[in-house]
Amino acid sequence: MSFQLYFFRRLVFIVPLLFGITIIAFLIANAVPADPVTANLPQNALGDETLVQAFREKWGLDQPPHVQYLTYISNLLRGDMGTSIKTGRPVIVDIGEFLPATIELATLAIVFGLVMGVGVGIISAVYRNTLIDYVSRIFALIGVSFPVFLLALIGLTVLYAQLGIVAGPGRLGFRTPDPDHITGFFTLDALLTGDFETFQEAFSHIVLPAFILGIYVAGTIARVTRSALLEVLGMDYMRTARAKGLGERRVLWHGVRNALIPVVTIIGLSYGNLLAGTVLVESIFAWPGIGRYMFRASTSQDFPAIMGVSMLIALIYIIVNFVVDMLYFFVDPRIRTEGR
Amino acid sequence: MRWVSKLRILVVVLAIFLGALAIQAQDETILVVGHAENTDSLDPAHGYTQTTGIVNRATYNTLVTFPDADASEILPMLATEWTISEDGTEYTFTLRDDVTFASGNPLTAEDVVFSVERLQNVMGNPSFLAEGIESVVANEDGTVTFTLATPRPSFLAELTNYAFSITDSATIMENGGTAAEDAAETDTAEDYLNGTSAGTGPYILDGWEQDVETILVKNPNYWGEEPYFDRVIITNIPEAATQKIALEAGDIDLALDLSRDQTATMEGNENLIVYSGPGVQTHFLLMNEDPELGGPVSDPLVQKAIRYALDYEGYKALWGGVTPATNLTVGLAGAYGEDQALSRDLDMARELLAEAGYADGFEITLSYPDYSSQGVNMNTNAQKIQSDLAEIGITVTLNTQELQVSLEEYRNGLQGFGYWFWGPDVLDPVDVLSFLPGGKVAEERANWTTEGVDEEILALIDAASTETDPAARVEIFAQLQDYLKESSPFAPFINPAIQAASRADLQGFVFHPQWGVDVSILSLSE
Repeated sequence: MSFQLYFFRRLVFIVPLLFGITIIAFLIANAVPADPVTANLPQNALGDETLVQAFREKWGLDQPPHVQYLTYISNLLRGDMGTSIKTGRPVIVDIGEFLPATIELATLAIVFGLVMGVGVGIISAVYRNTLIDYVSRIFALIGVSFPVFLLALIGLTVLYAQLGIVAGPGRLGFRTPDPDHITGFFTLDALLTGDFETFQEAFSHIVLPAFILGIYVAGTIARVTRSALLEVLGMDYMRTARAKGLGERRVLWHGVRNALIPVVTIIGLSYGNLLAGTVLVESIFAWPGIGRYMFRASTSQDFPAIMGVSMLIALIYIIVNFVVDMLYFFVDPRIRTEGR
Repeated sequence: MRWVSKLRILVVVLAIFLGALAIQAQDETILVVGHAENTDSLDPAHGYTQTTGIVNRATYNTLVTFPDADASEILPMLATEWTISEDGTEYTFTLRDDVTFASGNPLTAEDVVFSVERLQNVMGNPSFLAEGIESVVANEDGTVTFTLATPRPSFLAELTNYAFSITDSATIMENGGTAAEDAAETDTAEDYLNGTSAGTGPYILDGWEQDVETILVKNPNYWGEEPYFDRVIITNIPEAATQKIALEAGDIDLALDLSRDQTATMEGNENLIVYSGPGVQTHFLLMNEDPELGGPVSDPLVQKAIRYALDYEGYKALWGGVTPATNLTVGLAGAYGEDQALSRDLDMARELLAEAGYADGFEITLSYPDYSSQGVNMNTNAQKIQSDLAEIGITVTLNTQELQVSLEEYRNGLQGFGYWFWGPDVLDPVDVLSFLPGGKVAEERANWTTEGVDEEILALIDAASTETDPAARVEIFAQLQDYLKESSPFAPFINPAIQAASRADLQGFVFHPQWGVDVSILSLSE
């Protein structure tokens, strides 16, 4: 199969998928037995019919659900995701504001996770059933099972408050002004404007939450890497490679490449998880990202924002999966030969 | 390559320049407040949250106000004096003549009219506060007259609310604002007011990045005493644990949303001062009067038994604060203090249960939201309620619900046995009328109607909502509180204390029930 055909096949799937997600998100948001009116108006205002009616009309809540949905879809097709009840701003503007902080954090976290996870996984597989393996597996187990918010609090208390090795909550010190907005990634923007002091500060602020999220994903990556590599190392062709007199390092490299497919998948999924699910770490680190935006939207029945973020998360997973699929094409030669 | 070294020199020069800027910037006095931001608007006509209160207290003024620390009396602010008509429906205010807005525009009676009419007509969250105002008129002599539909003894207390902030009508109109009747559709000034303020307060809103931070700078045209801090940064730290860590590390100067167990661990730290002050939220049990919903707890004897079964001292040990005698918040004028509150009496509780025909107890489900308010975790209290009631034979099953789902049930009066908290909208004893027959919480949520209630009590309720004489009010509310203690479907059990902490040299911090914190009265000791 040619790359183009493979690419377009995967791409075409995205449209019905997104459409389906709008329906599911809309149904779930409406099925919750809670009313945006009670969630957003103060107690005493609820007794005032004029105020309640004005609120319903303003947000289109006086329309039957199917009309609300159709309005939503037709607006969406025009690129309008609606206005958030809570912030009073277009959802797309809110996302534009909160998403870069999350992307910046998740990206550094996945780099940490990748380095730690793949590294530990390989070491663990190579030194199978030795002390090194046991220690590595305990690390992986902690990464997978230790509550991330607890890790975050311990990290803050020890590394920031007690030892002062890294900076604390927030993307920058509370007294430091934000760098000029270019990409929305503070580290990058500071570098681009040549402001190294702010870069240092921003990096010092991001490194701890990213490291903690890194540990969180490294556990899973390490486990998958270990088992995939063990499987490959046990294959006949590996024995053949050794029998041919290939050096151990080259044999291992051979094995690692072949073990990459499940690892790439899990890295893709982990990155998606980080982009969509860092709400706890974002709260603890006062990190103004999309996770916290989503949390607030859902606790205040802010339908447009809930729908917007649901679409965004779906899109993130779709893109991540799409990229992973594309990577398969290069990593797995069987796909290339499929249909030939 | 030569351009590389040039670039290096440029970078070094730039770094030195920026460093110098940073040093210069440090000369200003800055206060950094850690706060779990919870607002959706800083426009006085739209925002109605604690964060709005904190910010608008600094950027706007109201006609009248409370003392810095409590709600014990009404003091002049933008109004120097006021008169009330015989029938209690007309209030005429004389304004200060030395006040200008941050823009430089002088304060006029028209600004007052504009502010109140805009609040009424934009139909924002706090608009209900202005409901009873029939008209507000600027008189020729520069005074302002409010006419009320009916006499309201709580009117002056209501005017202290930041929703009644007096705004600069010219500036707001220039930026899309209107006070016209169709303001709900035509007023577009909220965006503008979320970015800057248009008031007469000691500070100006210099920027609000929602969910991130709010920046206040001194108002050079302020008519009152100049505040100590040049700049105030209110930074959003949603987690109490993070606020504590950031305060201990010196990154913030004041942490507003701590919990009791956190402040307890800070008490030995000489770099910090721990503040524990009276809060206004009352946590209470609601027992539905409708037997189909409430089952055994709809029985007045059972309701009273439950009031005697709660371990009041235990809740105080958990959260600090005081035990309320009724749902009238301790601290409001005429409210019964702790000396009149109930104390635990298990024998009495068992007797009452037996009298009601439940000598062997019964089983019931307690519904409440999975929520924490001002550092008080409702789950913790629910578990304690469960164990308190087990001692008199009542087996409670806990039904923890998602906040909005639980709220919906509660507000529709569908919970048989619920656990909630209440903070007064108006810092006046009339607030308790919500918990008396026919009142909002009583009727809509506990199905406690006026049906079958003593005529005498109904007359007292009527009198409470109109009586203006302070002594007579105290007497009326005393009788109503006696009645609530004896027979009501509520069991209020704690007014938790507010827990905050600051660096040791921060002076003047006090938590106010109306506006939270007034940052303009804070300073550093020399």
